[in-house]
Amino acid sequence: MDRNQLIKWLKTPAKMSHKYSLHAVYFCTGCGIIEVPPSITARWDAERFGVVPAATPRQANLFLITGYVSVKTLKAIIRTYEQMPSPKYSVGFGSCPINGGMYWDSYNTIKHLDKYIPIDGWIAGCMPRPEAIFVAVTHLWTLIDKDMADGYKRYEKHYSAFRANQEQVLGPLPWPPLFSSRETE
Amino acid sequence: MTHPMVKNLKSMFKPIAVKQQDERRIMLNVPKDSLMSVLIFLKNSGYAHLGLISCVDRIADNKFELVYIVSAYVEEDVDDSMKATFVVSTFVSRKDPRFITCIPVFINAEPYERELHELYGIVFEGHPRLTPLLLEREYPIPPMRKDFDSRAYVEEVFDTVPFVDQEDDS
Repeated sequence: MDRNQLIKWLKTPAKMSHKYSLHAVYFCTGCGIIEVPPSITARWDAERFGVVPAATPRQANLFLITGYVSVKTLKAIIRTYEQMPSPKYSVGFGSCPINGGMYWDSYNTIKHLDKYIPIDGWIAGCMPRPEAIFVAVTHLWTLIDKDMADGYKRYEKHYSAFRANQEQVLGPLPWPPLFSSRETE
Repeated sequence: MTHPMVKNLKSMFKPIAVKQQDERRIMLNVPKDSLMSVLIFLKNSGYAHLGLISCVDRIADNKFELVYIVSAYVEEDVDDSMKATFVVSTFVSRKDPRFITCIPVFINAEPYERELHELYGIVFEGHPRLTPLLLEREYPIPPMRKDFDSRAYVEEVFDTVPFVDQEDDS
């Protein structure tokens, strides 16, 4: 910890602890998960940045979506995202969650992930190197500092629109709405 | 060097085309009726492992080509000089894609045939359950066929989902 950051710590202790304890649920959606084992282990030690893998979504607050998202996976992604406690940060990893990537005309992958859940940041590339994860993490720190990583607030605010998009692709969802419609109005 | 099984197969089954592509890779193109007997013959000769059933959509010829890949699973089953992989293929009409199941011969054919039924729409008669294996959605035609217009499908299904306008909050 830098000594000159001490003022920041004293002013906003909660924000600082959000920044430096990112517990990541590594959701293995596609090929991008192959970059994650080297980045959490000795070669590129992700714990330098405070990123540690969490056992379950209920203990995590960083969601890396690694790779293409098929329609079946989208259902699991939404469930995982809704299980995570706030504040939670979601990062799309690779070009496939951004706009479909090389699966842009595939019959079974969704193209734009931010139509279905809010995304705080993107890592472009196919595949991004493990260093790109750390660039994204440091960028996420500045976003948290400036209160711009507010995906979980946007999800609550626009929940009816997100839920409508989810149901347009997946059909009627088997779980009840996360937020009641009164709150989202 | 010609594989000894090539001569056997040629003498046993008259109308099949046998081609030795490699030292240990033998391609067979057999008519629909004799495919099961070829598979049974290969199994009894020691090549008891069905590696894969695959399908090629020959849309220009209006046919599906079913490809069965058979090899020896346990190495002791065949001699060292007899080791080979057999690629047995047959043609099925594209208009009415029906074929018989080969589960009685190779029991591990069940998931392969379910997958082909789902992705190509081929009906395997005698299969115990031709239910969907991988896909969850309904498609206008089976999606791996060559005439499935995936771009039009994407424009219709995924591109009509609107972006959520998240900019209005400050």
